Amino acid sequence: MLNRTDLKSKLLSFLGSYSHVLLIAILAGLMVVIPGEALALTNGQEGGGNYVIIGTLVDQQGIPVVDVSVKVLSIDGTELLGETESQEDGTWRLALIQLPAGELQIKIEHPRYIPQTLNLSVHDLDNLNEVGLHRLGETTLDWEINAGFWAATLIFLGVILLIAFEKLHSTTAALTGFSALFLVSYVGGAFNPNFFIFSFERGLSYINWEVIFLIMGMMIIVAIIEATGIFQWTAFQAYRLSSGRNWLLVIILIAITAVASALLDNFTTMLLMVPISLQIGLALGINPLVLIIPEVLASNVGGISTLVGTPTNILIGAYANISFTDFLVNQTVGVIVALVGLTGFILFYYRKEFMKKSSTISPSLYKKLEENARLEDSQSLWKAGIVFAFVLVGFILGESVHLAPAVPAMIGATVLLIWLKPDVHQMIIAVDWTTLVFFMSLFVVVGAVQEVGLLGLVASEMASMIGDNLPLGIFMIVFGVGAISTVIANIPLTAAMLPIVDFLTMTIPGAHSKVLYYALSMGAAMGGNGTLIGGEANLVTAGITNQTNTPITFKGFLKVGLPVTFITLCIGFIWLLIRF
Amino acid sequence: MTAKILCLTRGGESSYPNQDGAIAIAKDLDEELLFLYISSVQFLDYSAAPKVVDIESELDEMGEFLLVMAQERARKAGVVADILVRRGNFLEVLKDVVQEYPIETVILGSSTGDTGVITEEFTSEITEEISREYDVEFIILKDGNIQKTFKIDSDWEDCQ
Repeated sequence: MLNRTDLKSKLLSFLGSYSHVLLIAILAGLMVVIPGEALALTNGQEGGGNYVIIGTLVDQQGIPVVDVSVKVLSIDGTELLGETESQEDGTWRLALIQLPAGELQIKIEHPRYIPQTLNLSVHDLDNLNEVGLHRLGETTLDWEINAGFWAATLIFLGVILLIAFEKLHSTTAALTGFSALFLVSYVGGAFNPNFFIFSFERGLSYINWEVIFLIMGMMIIVAIIEATGIFQWTAFQAYRLSSGRNWLLVIILIAITAVASALLDNFTTMLLMVPISLQIGLALGINPLVLIIPEVLASNVGGISTLVGTPTNILIGAYANISFTDFLVNQTVGVIVALVGLTGFILFYYRKEFMKKSSTISPSLYKKLEENARLEDSQSLWKAGIVFAFVLVGFILGESVHLAPAVPAMIGATVLLIWLKPDVHQMIIAVDWTTLVFFMSLFVVVGAVQEVGLLGLVASEMASMIGDNLPLGIFMIVFGVGAISTVIANIPLTAAMLPIVDFLTMTIPGAHSKVLYYALSMGAAMGGNGTLIGGEANLVTAGITNQTNTPITFKGFLKVGLPVTFITLCIGFIWLLIRF
Repeated sequence: MTAKILCLTRGGESSYPNQDGAIAIAKDLDEELLFLYISSVQFLDYSAAPKVVDIESELDEMGEFLLVMAQERARKAGVVADILVRRGNFLEVLKDVVQEYPIETVILGSSTGDTGVITEEFTSEITEEISREYDVEFIILKDGNIQKTFKIDSDWEDCQ
């Protein structure tokens, strides 16, 4: 057997004997590689070279621009000396083997930006010749309002209108926009490059997967918790506790709805609360709408205080890296005060109805109500409660290790599936895939208007109006978004506002606290209370009450919703001024 | 169930007058009454919000409760009433129920402005279609009073 020393000496002797062969092999390898490299360099591809020119390309918002063509030409523009494309971070690098005599021209081109030509003077070239590196620094590209810009803008507005007027299912509307974008980009772009908006890969890069998985995880958790009947049971307990005092009943229901919508989402909360509240209202002989309208208003406000309370908060949290605790700490007090304001208005507005003496419920009706509000499976409720509590802890602790909230949500969903062993098929059905497809398509559609510079132009305009005045910025976001949310679905609005708010956060002094994102959260959610079509929760509530011949009319909702929106937006604005 | 009179209701406060009208008709004819509630989740069709809740079951339970209320009203008036909750398309469900039970009379509430789920035109169409197929009489109530009746061999009869 050979020992270690023997092996070493044999290896050295082998290398000694065949060193010339090895040397030849290495040289041969280099010969294969170097011509390739040299060819690349003579073609101007990035890589090693004697003279390197580097730079960064950003748009008017300071966001790096990718896939921009950068060409180095002779000063008369006739000879191409090298070319490259900008990277994800907007940087580009060109390595030249030789420098021409005289000056150089650098052409920067992209279908969505106004082309730019930069000249490298003799002095710059002398410097490059001496040091071997020339930094061009940051070049700002101006958006070009071309066919692609208008196509993306029209598609975006088309999607918003289709959703607002319910001409198509929201998911179909968003998918239509998604398809139209790529049709314009690839078919239109083939005839006229100005129509090109973005590549398929680039479009997909706008999808925020953190949002998709967080929503998916929460759907499974909520589906399991919902099946236990806890929310209906709680509403029934509210009825029992109030013992015929309608004003007290509505206060308890507002509180329950606000808390529930902070933990679930407001749409789901209303799906659970409306049927049981209708039953309670009718059984008591009062107009059920005096219970239900305050509930839906509270659900839109209550959801603001947590990351998972509204889909808009999920979008904002994922985009701006705002954690569960951040939302809780920075919004909860404002939300509670807003809820107090809301309750005060409701008690005043419906005072006559609340002063009415409610009917005595018959034993058979009471029995039926109790039956409909029973806890389905207390064992599952405990287990689901424990897991949900751990998910919340995961949200809070996860942020210290930069764990995306989607991770605890997905882990919690998986644990529940393993522990409770529900019908997995049912649970997979419980995941509302249309919602996920809606979000994915919407991200791409909003990405397109960001890509062509529409959102950037809006942001620049807003920035010039606001200047350095942060309170004005907060005011404009809270009330501006609030006003638009009364008529436009707040999810696409929020998704479109995020890049704008991001720009304003970077440019307005003091906005780095992310206060404008909180303003967006409040505006989008509270504004949804303004009209019946302002929020998904409002529409589903009206849908359910209509099933019982107790319709919520547009005018009827407006009378209550608009003042509540104004009151809560004022409170939210004042709270943000105080907090930040 | 042996009820021969079927009353479709959505059960809210606005439906009480027509429920009372149906109860009065059943009392006059000395027949049992069957209250039917049809739930539909069509209103969710345009929403992209996550529908993780078994809303159909929630609506069924709500419908059942509303029918129990109607049943109590009938009992107080001395009429025996049964209840039935079904899901789905209004016309299809109505046809199924008429076929499954020995129904001779169907009572519908007339469309009243914004609250009506079916238009007058639609009411005329379905009543004529079902009457022709299953030989049942239709009574249309408005505010608890008979507005018109329809039977295949006697056509529409205006009662106001």
